[in-house]
Amino acid sequence: MDRETALNSIKADTSGHFLFISEILNRPVLSAAGMPVGILRDLKVRLGDPYPKITHLAVRKRWKKGTEEIDWSRVARLESGSLRLEAGAEEALRPLETGPEDVLLRDELLDKQVVDTYGARIERVNDIHLLSVNRELRVVHVDFGYRGILRRLGWLRTVDRINQWLFAYRSEEKIISWKYVQPLMADASKKNLKLNVSAKWLRTLHPSDLADILEELDRTSRTSLFRSLDLQTAAQTLEEVEDPKLKISLIESGPVELASDLLEEMAPDEATDLLSELSEEDKDRIVRKMEKPSRDSVTALLKFKEGTAGSIMTKDFFSVSADTTIGQAIEEFRRTTYPLESVAYVYVTAEDGRLRGVATLRHLIIGDLNAPIAKFMNERLVSVGPQDDVEDVAGIFKKYKFLAIPVVNEGGLIEGLITLKDIMESQMDE
Amino acid sequence: MKLPRLRLHWKSILLFLAVAGPGIITSNVDNDAGGIATYSMAGAHFGYGMLWPLIPTMLALIIVQEMSARMGVVTGKGLSDLIRERFGVRITVYLLMAVVLTNIGNVIAEFAGVASSLEMFRISKYLTVPLAGVFVWLLVVKGTYRSVEKVFLYACLFYITYILAGFLAKPDWAAIGRSVIVPHISVSTQSMGMIIGLVGTTIAPWMQFYLQASIVEKNIAVKDYKFARLDVIVGSFVVTLIAAFIVLTCAATLFKENIRIETAADAARALRPLAGKYTAYLFAFGLLNASLFAASILPLSTAFVVCEALGWENGVDKKFSEAPQFYGLYSMLIFLGAGIVLIPNIPLFPVMYISQIINGVALPLILVFMLRLTNDRKLMGDYVNKKGYKVIAWGTVGILVVLAVVYLGLLLGL
Repeated sequence: MDRETALNSIKADTSGHFLFISEILNRPVLSAAGMPVGILRDLKVRLGDPYPKITHLAVRKRWKKGTEEIDWSRVARLESGSLRLEAGAEEALRPLETGPEDVLLRDELLDKQVVDTYGARIERVNDIHLLSVNRELRVVHVDFGYRGILRRLGWLRTVDRINQWLFAYRSEEKIISWKYVQPLMADASKKNLKLNVSAKWLRTLHPSDLADILEELDRTSRTSLFRSLDLQTAAQTLEEVEDPKLKISLIESGPVELASDLLEEMAPDEATDLLSELSEEDKDRIVRKMEKPSRDSVTALLKFKEGTAGSIMTKDFFSVSADTTIGQAIEEFRRTTYPLESVAYVYVTAEDGRLRGVATLRHLIIGDLNAPIAKFMNERLVSVGPQDDVEDVAGIFKKYKFLAIPVVNEGGLIEGLITLKDIMESQMDE
Repeated sequence: MKLPRLRLHWKSILLFLAVAGPGIITSNVDNDAGGIATYSMAGAHFGYGMLWPLIPTMLALIIVQEMSARMGVVTGKGLSDLIRERFGVRITVYLLMAVVLTNIGNVIAEFAGVASSLEMFRISKYLTVPLAGVFVWLLVVKGTYRSVEKVFLYACLFYITYILAGFLAKPDWAAIGRSVIVPHISVSTQSMGMIIGLVGTTIAPWMQFYLQASIVEKNIAVKDYKFARLDVIVGSFVVTLIAAFIVLTCAATLFKENIRIETAADAARALRPLAGKYTAYLFAFGLLNASLFAASILPLSTAFVVCEALGWENGVDKKFSEAPQFYGLYSMLIFLGAGIVLIPNIPLFPVMYISQIINGVALPLILVFMLRLTNDRKLMGDYVNKKGYKVIAWGTVGILVVLAVVYLGLLLGL
């Protein structure tokens, strides 16, 4: 559902009315008898609902320091000029408290930066759109546009009139449904983001968009946003972050265990790149915490000098022995979790482990299940050595247009794989 | 036993060099066209009597820039960003208007600097100023600024000539000592205006936004804050030293000969004891470099500040269609700044000087916001202003407000 239909569906099935938070903030809060109690300082919501309900209103009393709160159900009438409480409600005022799930709309959201998960960008909140229905008040939209700024300055009418008179034009609202909005304030005790609608929309963002967003944020919001991502998304995002300094600060923002978990999730060559940027001390500490298979491939990769084929290769390659049947190979293939570009080719090894030939994914799909894979393989192999220069490897990719090239050591054993993606990244860094 | 200590020492120096930069660059940009004009006029028109205000000004500069640097390191956010989040959109928009207006004055001053430096060689401003405008605009939009920045910085070695010229002019050191130890204030429009101009050019409001933004961009860790602070203190000291020597040199030469500065040629004569017949070239080079350096930073920094606070896309890595407000504002500032200098018969040196007085009047306003932000424990955590510091900082703001009020009162003839 896009933002327009979201807006319309709410309009269609309710008989309530919309208002902006700027229209009621700082307005007087009156007792049932019409006596002033204080002014409306803030509204408190609890995250979780797609369109969260206002739970409390925060009132600042005149001549009194501090802010007090009262349950929203005690509001009898909501007018744009003032709020009127039920009889005796002013006795129920108590000092304002916020829990980990609570958000103060003015203090924590208005004028702050948020992630627009629909447009995959950071925006600043100019106003908040509320819906009042059946004595309930809910947050429905967030305003990022000019009109929000003008409304809060009190110039909206004048500017609209001038625009109307001069150009017969009305500027557009830039408003987005609340459910797409991820606030950036962290829970003070946990330093994790207060997640809107269990971060559902945050997870729909592409890791490279997430990386762009992280690069734009300040350190605190960046760390808390990063730590709110699940391990897999976080690792993918980390792969996409371009600034190496930022990568390091993200990996070092948490405990060592988290860093090693993240590196295990990442492709071994990416993880190695990142590790080689760290100080020896940090590198050792993190590598020691990593689990067995990833640790081995990472320590193996770390041995290669920068600019050599070994330093950019991945350990994610798929190889079977020559006597394997297609059916067995498919079974084994099912157990791998390597990215697509790593499994375009199936490497076939002899009994002594030496690389003998290569088949493609296509052969697995169309070949006879009982035939040995050696029947399909191509023995004319193009391979590179781990100490070869990356530039030369790039030349080979240019010439043969392969999706991947195996890295074979002096003993003829396959050490790893360089994919087109790896070589592209290494060339773009320069 | 000695070895590890020595290594620690070297490590600190390396760390400082990694962190240093924003403070030193900011102070060099600080000596822009308006700065050179104001310091020259202070020396030429008031003699050694305008040296003492530089000492309290330096202390205030350190206090103010230290706050900018601290806010940048601790929060990782720009100043206008923080103001928006803390004080809301209303106050922010009106404050930004004041900042933009003040900065337009400064941009005009930079282009006036370009015009007057090249007019010394009878090159018409109708040629030089539009060219400079296009040059600066392209420099930034095409992303070549970073590589040119170093050229600008090296060219700042020009200021050393004032130190040499200051000694060669054989100033009356005893008189200098007396005027510094026993400050003399005369409550006249001229001398009040000059003091405010000196403060305004040394502690320009836009520099605080710029300094904080460059600290944020450098992404300095909180544990390395002490190096950033050292960077700022060294920068503040250097800028004041240069300012003092410009005032002193002009006092020892121009004031003694009773020359009033009307054009760049008058101001250049202060360097005659050093450069002889090359004086004009030397001065024009210095003024042109200072003007172009600041002209390529100031409009950009202003556009950043506004877009950041209002949540508009910004940055020179964006396309025009992605960040129309940013490029629009940036281009408008250059266009206005260069355009106003092209008004026939506009007095260039007075324009540079007046823009600095406006800086001085606007400064306390910005300082109030900076102080309230750095006093906020929720924002600054353990790096909140200490009690004594608060008193000194508020005292500085108080003095600046009194100065501005007295000056405006005198100006309006109250």
